[in-house]
Amino acid sequence: MGGDRTIYGLFFFGLALTAVVIVYPAVYAIELSFQNAQSFISEPEWVGFDNYVRVLQDAEFWNALWRGIVFAGTAILLQIVLGIGFAMLLDAAIPFKRAFRGIAILPYLLPTLIVALTFRWMLNDPIGVITVAMQDLGFGTVDWFGSPTLAMGIVITISVWIWTPFVTVAILAGLQSVPESLYEAAKVDGASAWQRFWHVTIPQLGPVLTVVVLLRAIWMFNKFDIVWLMTGGGPLQATEHLPILAYRKAFQSYDVSTGATVSTISFLILAVAVLIYFRMFPLDTKD
Amino acid sequence: MKTELEVPLSSRLALYVAMAVTLIYSFFPVYWMLVTSVRDPKVLYNQVSLIPGPFSLESYETLLAATDYPTWFTNSVLVASVTVVITLIFSVLIAYAVTRLHLRGKTAIIGSMLLAYMFPPLLVAIPLYTIFAQIGLANTHFALILSHCTITLPLGVWLLWGFFKQLPIDVEQAAMVDGCSRLGAFFRVVLPLSLPGVTTVAIFSFLLSWTDYTFALVMIDSDDQKTLPVGLETMTGQYELRDGELMAGSTLIALPLLVLFIFLNRYFIHGLAAGAVKR
Amino acid sequence: MAKSGKKFSKHAVTRQGDAPRKTLSRRSVVKAVGVAGGAAALGFPAPFVNAAQKEIRFLNGEPTVESVRAMKFAAAQYEKETGVKVQMDTVPVGKAFEKLQTGIKAGRPYDIGTLFFIGDVVLLASEGQLAPLNEIIEQYEWGPRILFPIDGNYYWYPYDYNLCWINYRRDLYDKHGLKEPANWTELMENMAALKGEGDDMTENGILHPISSSSATNYFSFGYMWAEGGQVFDDNWNVVLDQGDVKKSVISYLDYFNDLTDLMPTGIAQAEWGVGLRGFRSGQLSHAPGTGRAIDVIRTTDEEMAQKIGIFPFPSSDGKQVAVNHGYDGWVVLDTPQTEEAMKFMKWFSDEHLINFLHTSAVHYQPARMDIYEDPRWLAHPALEQYSHITSWQKRFLTDPDVVIASIDSAGPVADLRSAKVFRSYALPEMLQNKILKGMDSSEAVDVAANKIRDVVSGG
Repeated sequence: MGGDRTIYGLFFFGLALTAVVIVYPAVYAIELSFQNAQSFISEPEWVGFDNYVRVLQDAEFWNALWRGIVFAGTAILLQIVLGIGFAMLLDAAIPFKRAFRGIAILPYLLPTLIVALTFRWMLNDPIGVITVAMQDLGFGTVDWFGSPTLAMGIVITISVWIWTPFVTVAILAGLQSVPESLYEAAKVDGASAWQRFWHVTIPQLGPVLTVVVLLRAIWMFNKFDIVWLMTGGGPLQATEHLPILAYRKAFQSYDVSTGATVSTISFLILAVAVLIYFRMFPLDTKD
Repeated sequence: MKTELEVPLSSRLALYVAMAVTLIYSFFPVYWMLVTSVRDPKVLYNQVSLIPGPFSLESYETLLAATDYPTWFTNSVLVASVTVVITLIFSVLIAYAVTRLHLRGKTAIIGSMLLAYMFPPLLVAIPLYTIFAQIGLANTHFALILSHCTITLPLGVWLLWGFFKQLPIDVEQAAMVDGCSRLGAFFRVVLPLSLPGVTTVAIFSFLLSWTDYTFALVMIDSDDQKTLPVGLETMTGQYELRDGELMAGSTLIALPLLVLFIFLNRYFIHGLAAGAVKR
Repeated sequence: MAKSGKKFSKHAVTRQGDAPRKTLSRRSVVKAVGVAGGAAALGFPAPFVNAAQKEIRFLNGEPTVESVRAMKFAAAQYEKETGVKVQMDTVPVGKAFEKLQTGIKAGRPYDIGTLFFIGDVVLLASEGQLAPLNEIIEQYEWGPRILFPIDGNYYWYPYDYNLCWINYRRDLYDKHGLKEPANWTELMENMAALKGEGDDMTENGILHPISSSSATNYFSFGYMWAEGGQVFDDNWNVVLDQGDVKKSVISYLDYFNDLTDLMPTGIAQAEWGVGLRGFRSGQLSHAPGTGRAIDVIRTTDEEMAQKIGIFPFPSSDGKQVAVNHGYDGWVVLDTPQTEEAMKFMKWFSDEHLINFLHTSAVHYQPARMDIYEDPRWLAHPALEQYSHITSWQKRFLTDPDVVIASIDSAGPVADLRSAKVFRSYALPEMLQNKILKGMDSSEAVDVAANKIRDVVSGG
């Protein structure tokens, strides 16, 4: 078949490029984890699995891992549920549809840094609009960042706010390819709206949903910036998950190797999780 | 499509409530950012009012006086646009090849693309910068674009993979029987049908590139090559009582996107609707 | 010293051409090639362009609008006078060291950098990445505790003290007939006297952050230094939990705990502005801070700025006072352009340094003593208008009862250990254990001291 060669050629060129820019840095990080470098410029020394042994024996690591699972798990769940909800809403017969779709996607347009600055400004004690509103509503002054639970709640809520539109857009696009005939058939069979959603919409969204959940899960598990900017991992390390632990080690404790070790272990955990995910939701069924 | 008349009043009411909640939820922080940025810095710390005013452009004036906003804006547009183009070309290709061609271990191949997301960006960015510096690309937009592709390409490939898989292979085969080459069939049949997916990838890549901070911080090392997020963060310095300027800076990063998005929205929606041929 | 990282430097050498051709400026080349094709816009021509002109790369870590402007002006002047281009890269304070490392790692080091931690200077010097500045440093007279020599060499050029003190509302003090507090009790009494409803009253006294952040390290330990708290002794033993020092730290913790009654919520928020917004809004009568706050308020609300006075952190008995050290400086890296960079630093040391210091006139308290007498520096109107502040600043350096201390500069000499302690946030955690967890003070000190020992010995 003509053109196959062109496609193969470009395909492999693309892959080669990707390999250089993605695989090399990853290999470098893994290499660092077997050394004992203070910084990126130190002369490193090979130490085998020493870093791994030390990190795995450290309670700090396990706590951070658990917090990461709580953070990512809750955030993903909310993002998916809300994202599907918004997508259905945006797909329904609503007035001002176009403008409304734009607004619903708005949060995703903002750089994380800006979101963090804005929310910090809104939550500020004496003059933050949300804090003042809570006072006016009679809830007293809420110490947003003073309680471990609230601080975790805040970083989860803000993560949901920013990244739900990603799910919304992907699902909305997916919804467009669900054949209307399937709904008609289900209606004829007397299926309720809920049943139609559960038995027609969701299975049809399957492939998109599988990818969206996977990507969001990986991203949330590695999400560093929003947590760092909002709480810095505090209070009392209540929001310190693996990415923050790695960052603190690598860039703040003059211990790049331990940072790389934490990242590598975190990577291995994710890789195993992704493999299990592939097993549960095979991506290749349609081939 | 359902018409509004079919829907009973109660569920229409519920719909409007849902809309109102969504609206406030999505828009309020942005609204607050705008209001803060145009409020007189003198009263910024003295009153909290949902109503805008007293109006002043002082924050913007202070911020723009010494920043290279136009330069950074141009840089950002350039970097994000080229990133989108490169991402689209390669992600469409790779995703299509993976869906249609018979390749052994292809799941492993594209699975490994996710590596880019599994390590902290800073840990990836620094060795990447070393490579670029050694081939003379340090402090260039090209290096920044390539590094943005490390985050946009896997996303593009994965999303498009999902879309391509859903397309019925028989349409394509029919076209090929009619004398189209595979490439021809791809351009004439597959691509138009997957327009919603392609549009989605384009939008996501643009956003990822436009809002990126980490890579831009590492790859670029002179003020005149910076993109907006790094440039403005630099200038406002997060220190002490510059909330008006911070919000003005934030608005200046977000506003072009909002305008662009409102403008492009019809095409976006059009792209989405194009996928609805099967209805 | 190991000259690691040097193997990459070759690239820089070959790229920086030996013969400067002035007729072909960088800009014109960029323009010409830029017109020719999109590739230029993507930055491809950079390697060719660099060959045309000598260039020093300057990592500027002072990102405020005014300071950047002064730096750009100096760079333009220098290029005009000498033909050497000074390429500025401005980054936020917290990113400066990462950027310096990245540049060195990639074989593309900056020629001059800004640093805010003496530990970073020590690390770079020990890796052989810095060039000593002895020749320039020895020309001037310097204030106390600012040069941080390493093995007899000066590896950095400090430009300001960046001290942290307590800002207070002078106008409210006057109206209520209060005077500057001499000890802990008086400070709390003053805050309590100003706390209440109505005009000329404030909702709360002060806000010291306790989050695990640089802001806490910087804003919240002044009382401890004044009280005689110490992290290390002269032999690098951790003495935080030993003998008299422990007693001081315990009484500091107890005092801090009492102070929280006069603080609003939000002390666990991880950022710099947190202690100042409430002060700016008139809801707090005091705030830990620097001259930066005064300069920022000065430019937006002159009247408010005039209402602000300062005093150092008191001790319990008033015998000593303290300010928290902040110090900022420049380093020159060991690169093919070191000589040019030194020339620039010498040139900058005069008029342009003063211009730079003027960009935040009250904040940038000079590290060089001769500047205090320099009529060009004194000419800035703010130094006269805010003499009630600047006179204190000078006294901080000359009065033997003023302790200038910080976590990052703790210990007998400049060392990586103190920087590690700073970045481990062991001391902010001590505050969190006390305030948020209600841990017993003595135990909180022990926990912190043990963590510090871990940090210092490990890695």
